[in-house]
Amino acid sequence: MNNKKLLQALLLAGGIPFLSVSTAWAASCCGGGSASSLLLPKFTKAMSDASLDIEQYDGFWNRDGVHTPDPPGSDLAQYRLNLGYAHRFAPRWQGSISLPYVWNENDYAGLKSSTRGFGDATLSLWYENFDRAQCVWEVKDIRDLIPATYFGATLTLPTGVSPYDDVGNSFDITGRGFYRLDGNILLDKTIYPWNASLKLGYGISFERSVNREYGNYVEPYDRKLGNRTQVSASFGYTRLLESMNTLTYTLAWSDLQEDEGRLDGRPDPATGFRKRSIAATVAFSTFDKKWVIKFTWSHALRGDGWGENFPTTDIYTVGVSHAYH
Amino acid sequence: MPITKFLILGASLLLLAGCSDTFDDLAPSDEDKRTGVEQNAADFTLANTLGENVNLATELSSARGVVLYFNMWCPICDAHLSDMRSYIIPKFPDVKFLVVDYVTGSVERSRAAQLSNGYAALEVLVDSDEAVLNQFNATMGTTVVIDGSGIVRMNEDYKDGSKLHDTLEALSQ
Repeated sequence: MNNKKLLQALLLAGGIPFLSVSTAWAASCCGGGSASSLLLPKFTKAMSDASLDIEQYDGFWNRDGVHTPDPPGSDLAQYRLNLGYAHRFAPRWQGSISLPYVWNENDYAGLKSSTRGFGDATLSLWYENFDRAQCVWEVKDIRDLIPATYFGATLTLPTGVSPYDDVGNSFDITGRGFYRLDGNILLDKTIYPWNASLKLGYGISFERSVNREYGNYVEPYDRKLGNRTQVSASFGYTRLLESMNTLTYTLAWSDLQEDEGRLDGRPDPATGFRKRSIAATVAFSTFDKKWVIKFTWSHALRGDGWGENFPTTDIYTVGVSHAYH
Repeated sequence: MPITKFLILGASLLLLAGCSDTFDDLAPSDEDKRTGVEQNAADFTLANTLGENVNLATELSSARGVVLYFNMWCPICDAHLSDMRSYIIPKFPDVKFLVVDYVTGSVERSRAAQLSNGYAALEVLVDSDEAVLNQFNATMGTTVVIDGSGIVRMNEDYKDGSKLHDTLEALSQ
């Protein structure tokens, strides 16, 4: 069997394991700790996943999009251990659970803090609008260009500690404190050895009551976060190694925007943000696609105009997945 | 069977999320539990970022009231300060607005942060040992209004500034 046929067999058996652009992002003074959702390749029954995120902070964009440095002597970092499990219910249906455990280690101009706890968990349900793996070796027919299409819903659960809980200061936060429901569409196409994907997401959060902020009681009111829009795209190349294992290199771009929230129905000028980032991933996969080891570097673009009202960070992710065929 | 396990796990997470002792309380009491208002504010003196001493009693003697904003030069603080500078400060020229920097720890570092964040025109006080922060039980974004007689009229998060606006309006009447 030549390499082409062998890899064809491997892809049909396991699919491309890196369908989604990483959406890992967080901000320890603005809430965060959200885990990205898992997505199973076609014909994979289940997958367990563990990854470690190291997020380093380096200033922020203000509301006008001007990049502003942190105070001198600041060293802010968040570490997240993400545990996830995905399961196929039916040929076209799959679901997943992700739960992060978060460490905040901060030295903010001499104000030191170290906290840990669960972040916000996510439950996802995905429908695949295709029956066969959509990866091809060469385009012989117009139908070979049809991408794999996924429709998904993700519910974020406020399992983390939010600013509206009993916290000592803003560095104790590991979650945002709201239920949020996101609808997602993912288009993915592989024409060996190249791969491209496009993901669109729109999310709404649910209003909640608040009577304290950052540990101090406030006049009770209702708060709602703004609606969220996310667009991400990736482009990858898979290299077949002599051992028949594969290395996949992926470059991704992501644009995340959240509208202003509401306070008792009025606009909240302190909320709403935008973040644009790029990411590079190298993933090693065994020939049977049962094990995947990956490393991702996600970089928020410094400089004015690349974001608004949000910290600029670098996220380093090391992860391992095990698939059950 | 695996589907059942998955659903049980998901349901367990949902239940845990609703357990206020373990995770965030999404339906807190609607009781107003604020403290620290309608009390006398103890006098204090802090250096500003120009190295001058600023005394609360002295400021109150020449203003209708004093607003303290507790700041740590973060995105939320920047959003609050920007809103305050645009929509609150111009409306109340007889009120003294003071930004309290409780994180940078020195006049020089605080001045550098003030300039790099674009707030050179605001008066920033340096609360190096967090004495004033602790006095008002404040945290990031806490906004304190002290009227001319030294009584605390507001002590809570800035949010959208409407509470601050209403409190200052009441001082003017």
